[in-house]
Amino acid sequence: MSEAVPATISRRNLLLGGAALAGGALTAGALAGCSTTAAGAETMQYWHLMSGGDGIVMGDMVKAINARHLGFQTQQTVLAWGPPYYTKLAMASVGGRAPDVAIMHATRVAGYAPGGLLDVWDQDLLAEVGITQDKFPERIWKKGFTDDKLYAVALDSHPFIFMYNTDVADKAGLLGSNGQLRPISSPDELYEAGRKMAEATGVHGFSYGFLGDGAQMWRMFYTFYRQQNADFVLTQGSKAQVDMDAAVKALEVMRTILDGKIAAKSGDYGTAVAEFAGGHSGALFTGVWETPTMITAKLPFDAMTIPTIFDTPAAYADSHTFVLPHQSTPGQTRKDAYKFVAAMLKSSLKWAGAGHIPAFSPIVDSAEYKKLVPQSHYANAADIINYDPVAWFTGSGSNFQNYFAENIQNVLLGQVEPKVGMEGFIARINSLLAQPNPV
Amino acid sequence: MSTATATAEGTAAEEAASPVLSRRRPFKVRPLSILAIAILVILAICWLLPFVWSVLTSLKSETDAAATPVTWWPANGFTFDAYAKVIQDGNIPRWVWNSLLTSVAITVITVAIASLAGYAFSRIDFAGRRWLFAAIIGSIIIPPQILIVPLFRQMLAFNMVDTYWGIILPQVIAPVMVFILKKFFDQVPIELEEAARVDGANRLRVFLQIVLPLSRPILAAVSIFVFIGAWNNFLWPFVVTNNANLMTLPVGLQTVKSAYGIQYAQNMASAILAALPLIVVFLFFQKQIIKGVATTGFGGT
Amino acid sequence: MTTALANQTAAPGTTPGRGPSRKAQNNLSGWAFVAPFTAFFAVFLVWPIIYGFYMSLTGSSLSGSGQEVIGFANYAEAFGDPDMWHSFGNTVLFTVLSTIPLVVVSLILALLVNTGLPGQWLWRLSFFLPFLLASTVVSLFWTWMYNPQLGMINDVLANFGVEPISWLQDEKYAMVSVVITTVWWTVGFNFLLYLAALQNIPEQQYEAASLDGAGGWRQLISITIPQLGPTTVLILILQILASLKVFDQIYQMTQGGPSGVTRPIVEYIYETGFTGFRLGYAAAISYIFFAIIVVISLIQAWVNSRRSAA
Repeated sequence: MSEAVPATISRRNLLLGGAALAGGALTAGALAGCSTTAAGAETMQYWHLMSGGDGIVMGDMVKAINARHLGFQTQQTVLAWGPPYYTKLAMASVGGRAPDVAIMHATRVAGYAPGGLLDVWDQDLLAEVGITQDKFPERIWKKGFTDDKLYAVALDSHPFIFMYNTDVADKAGLLGSNGQLRPISSPDELYEAGRKMAEATGVHGFSYGFLGDGAQMWRMFYTFYRQQNADFVLTQGSKAQVDMDAAVKALEVMRTILDGKIAAKSGDYGTAVAEFAGGHSGALFTGVWETPTMITAKLPFDAMTIPTIFDTPAAYADSHTFVLPHQSTPGQTRKDAYKFVAAMLKSSLKWAGAGHIPAFSPIVDSAEYKKLVPQSHYANAADIINYDPVAWFTGSGSNFQNYFAENIQNVLLGQVEPKVGMEGFIARINSLLAQPNPV
Repeated sequence: MSTATATAEGTAAEEAASPVLSRRRPFKVRPLSILAIAILVILAICWLLPFVWSVLTSLKSETDAAATPVTWWPANGFTFDAYAKVIQDGNIPRWVWNSLLTSVAITVITVAIASLAGYAFSRIDFAGRRWLFAAIIGSIIIPPQILIVPLFRQMLAFNMVDTYWGIILPQVIAPVMVFILKKFFDQVPIELEEAARVDGANRLRVFLQIVLPLSRPILAAVSIFVFIGAWNNFLWPFVVTNNANLMTLPVGLQTVKSAYGIQYAQNMASAILAALPLIVVFLFFQKQIIKGVATTGFGGT
Repeated sequence: MTTALANQTAAPGTTPGRGPSRKAQNNLSGWAFVAPFTAFFAVFLVWPIIYGFYMSLTGSSLSGSGQEVIGFANYAEAFGDPDMWHSFGNTVLFTVLSTIPLVVVSLILALLVNTGLPGQWLWRLSFFLPFLLASTVVSLFWTWMYNPQLGMINDVLANFGVEPISWLQDEKYAMVSVVITTVWWTVGFNFLLYLAALQNIPEQQYEAASLDGAGGWRQLISITIPQLGPTTVLILILQILASLKVFDQIYQMTQGGPSGVTRPIVEYIYETGFTGFRLGYAAAISYIFFAIIVVISLIQAWVNSRRSAA
C-alpha cells in the first residue's frame, strides 16, 4: 500500500491509494461550499491584509467600486497581517478554491509564484482594461515579474521615510527657505540634526521604535546598507553575499542614534509613533502608512525620503500588489478580477490618502496628487526604492525579519557588537540557503 | 483526553446513575465553613469576572471601550451597537450556521457508525472481532494533531479542501465512543434480544427496535459530547478551510479580521454570541453533561 | 491498556457451538455492522498515519513538489533543529506549569464545594462554565483582559500600585499568562471529576474516623486524599497528554511569540508545514512527537497494570 505513488497537486485526479475511491464517491454528493451570497451579480472574492487606517480606506474603495455595478460585487475578506495571511493564502491556492484576486507584498511573490501557487496575469486582458507597462515606474513594474512572467500588478509602493515636525525643525534651525528640511548628507549631519531637535523638544530628537519588531529594524538597516551601494545577494544552495563593512557601518549609525538623547535607547513601534505624534520628538523613522495618523493628530509635520547619509539615495520599500491565487477551475469571476484591479488602480488617489505612493503613474502625475502634502514630498521614493533581497523566505511578514530581530535587537540595545550580531544573522540565513527550496 | 476513558473503564456506563447530583453531606455552620464560603465566593467571582468584563465591554461604544483610564461603567451609557454591527456584518450568522451544520452532521454520523460498531463488538462473535477492536481502542492514543499534515494532503487529493465534507469527514471517527457504547450494550439484558431473535427478527431490527430505545440516555450523553467537541473544535477546521464563507465559528473568529482595526466592543460581542449557544445547551443538559464527565472522564481538552 | 481491554471482550450473548452456518451468519452481520465505522477508520485514521510516515521520508512541499523519497534526512535535520527543541522545551514547560495548578486548584475547589455548602448548582456552574467555551472565545476574552493599557487585569492591579504589565508581549510573562488562561478555562473538568470521586467515598469511613476522635484535618489527610489517589492519577495523565498537544489558545493569544517563547510543538508543526511549505519535514516532526506520546502512554499503561495488579 505504501508503494502507491502519492498524488501530486497537479495531478489531483490521481487516486491516493485505494482510499480515494471512497472520498470520490462522497464528493459526488457534495455539499460543495457554494458561496454566492448576493442575488443577481456574482460575487468576486477579494482578500487583503489591511486593517486599521489602511483597511478603512481599502474598504471604502471596494464599496465605491461595488456601487458602480460593474457586473460583479466584491466581497472582501481581511486576514491578520503577516504569517497568518500568507499561510492561508498559500493553503487556499493549493486547495484550488482560492479567492479571485488578493493583495500580496511584492517581496513575497518569489516564494509563491514558482510553486504554482499563483496564476499569471494575462497582459492582453490587462491592456484591454487600460493597464500597461508605460503607466508604472520601471522598478515597480519589473518587480511584478518572476521567471519572466507577470504575477503581480502593483497598487503602490510604501517606502520607509523620515517624518519631521516642522515646528521643532524650525526651532532647531534646520528648515530651508522653502519650509522643508535642509538636506542632510552624512551620518554626522544626521546626529547633529538629532541633537538640535532634542534640544528643541527637551525630550528626544528622533523617534524610532524597534523593540521586538524585526520589520522596523530591517527597514532602517537595509536603507542605510543600500545607501552604501552594497549588495545583499541570496542564492539558494550557496552562502549569502553580504558586505560586512557596510553592514557594520549601517548598524553603527543606528546605535549612535539610539543613545538616549538623539532617540530613546529602546522603545517599541507604538511608543515611538505616540512620542512623535505627541510632539516629544522632532522626527520619526517610519513607513508612509503612518501619514494618516499624524494628519489625524493635527501635528504640524512634513515628510521626505530617508536622508542620503552615504553615497547613494536609497530607501527600503515594499509594494502591495494584486495577484491571482491559483484556482483549479477559474470562472467568470476571475475575469471580473481584471476589471476590479483596473478600477482600484484608477481610484488609487484615495489610496494615497492612506500614505502609500500609488504605483499607477497617471495618478501620481495628476494635479490632485501634487496637492497632497506630505505625500507628494516623498513621491520621489518610487525611483530609489529597494526591495528585500530575493529569496523564498524573505519579504514583509516573513521569518527573515524575525531572524534579523533575534540577532540584531541586542546589537541595538548595546549588548552585542554589530559584527557578532550580523554574523549570527548570516549564519541563520545560510542554514536556510543550504536547504532545498521548498517552493 | 480520550486515553482517560479507556483508563477510567471501570467507572463507565454502569455508574450512569452515580449520585453526583443527589448526595449532600449535612451542612453545619462552623467557623471553618464560613472561611470555606468566603474562599469559594472569592474564587467564584474570579471565575465569573472575565464573563462580566466581556459582557460589559460588549455593551459599550467603541470609543468607551478604548477610553483611558479604564472604566467599568461606560461614560456614555450602555448600547447594543456592537451586537447590531456584528450581526449586520453577516459573518457571525453565517459561521453559526456553518458550525451548526457541520456539528450536527458530525454528531449524526459519529453516533450512527459508532453505535453500530459498538453493538457488533458487544453482541456478535465475528471473525477478526478481537483484533479490530484492539486496533480501534489502540488508536485512542493517536493525537489528532499529528494527522493534520497527511490529512490535508489527502483532502487535496479528494478535492475537499474548502468544502463542508472536508470539515466533517475526518471528525467522525471516535474510537472512544465505540468503547463507551460497547460497554453499555454489554449491560443490556440479553434476554430481551433473544426473545426477539426467536421470533425471527434479524439483527438489524433487534438493534433498531429493541436495543436503541433502551440506550437513549447513553446515546444522548455521547451525542452531547460529540456535538460539544465538534462545535468547539479548532485545529482541523482551521487547517481545512480558507474561505471565510465556510468557516466554523471558532475558526472564523480567529482568522477573519475587521478592516477597521481592532474593535474591542465588537470583538467581545462576537465572543459572547459565539459562547451563547453552548451555554444554553449546557443549561438544558446540565445533568447529563456533569454526569457524563463524572462517570466516564471524557471531554474536550 | 489495550491488551487489558482485548482480554475482556468475551461477548456475552454469543451462543457457541451452533455449527458453521451460524458462524458464517455472524461473520456477515458482524462485519456489516462494523463496516461503516471501519471504512472511515481506515480512510481517515489508518491511511493518514501510514501516508504521513511516507511523507516524512520525502521532501514534500505544500506546492506539490519534492515527492521523491529522501530517506531519513528529515529526521536527521529535526534532531539538529534548535527551533524544534525550543518548541519541545516550551511544550514541556507549559505542561509542567499548567498541570500542577490544574490538579491543585481543582482539588481545592472540589473539597470546598463538597463541604455541602448551599448553592451547589451555582458553584458547579461557575467553575465549569468556561470549559464549554471554544478556544477562540477564551482567547478573545483573555487577550482583552491582558491588554496592557485597556485591560481589566492591569486596571485591577493598578489599585495595588502595580505598574502596567505587557502580559502577552513580554517574554517574562507570556507563558505564565497563557497558563493562567488555561487553568481558568479547563479546571472545571477536573473539578467535576474530583467532586464525583469525593461523593463516592463511603460516609461510614468518616463516621468511623469521627468515633475514633479524628478531626476534620485528620480525616482529610488520612481518608479523603488517599481515596482520591486513582482520580489524581487519572487527572495527571489526562492533563499531561492534553498539555503536550496544546495549540489553540497559544496560537490565538501570542502566535507563539514573543520571540517564540510560547510556541508549542503543534504550532511548530503547523508553521513548518503550512507557513514554511515543508510538509515532509512537518510530518517528520509530527512522528517524533507521536513517538513521545506513545512512550508516555505506554508508561501510563504500565503504571496502570502495576496498580491494578497491586
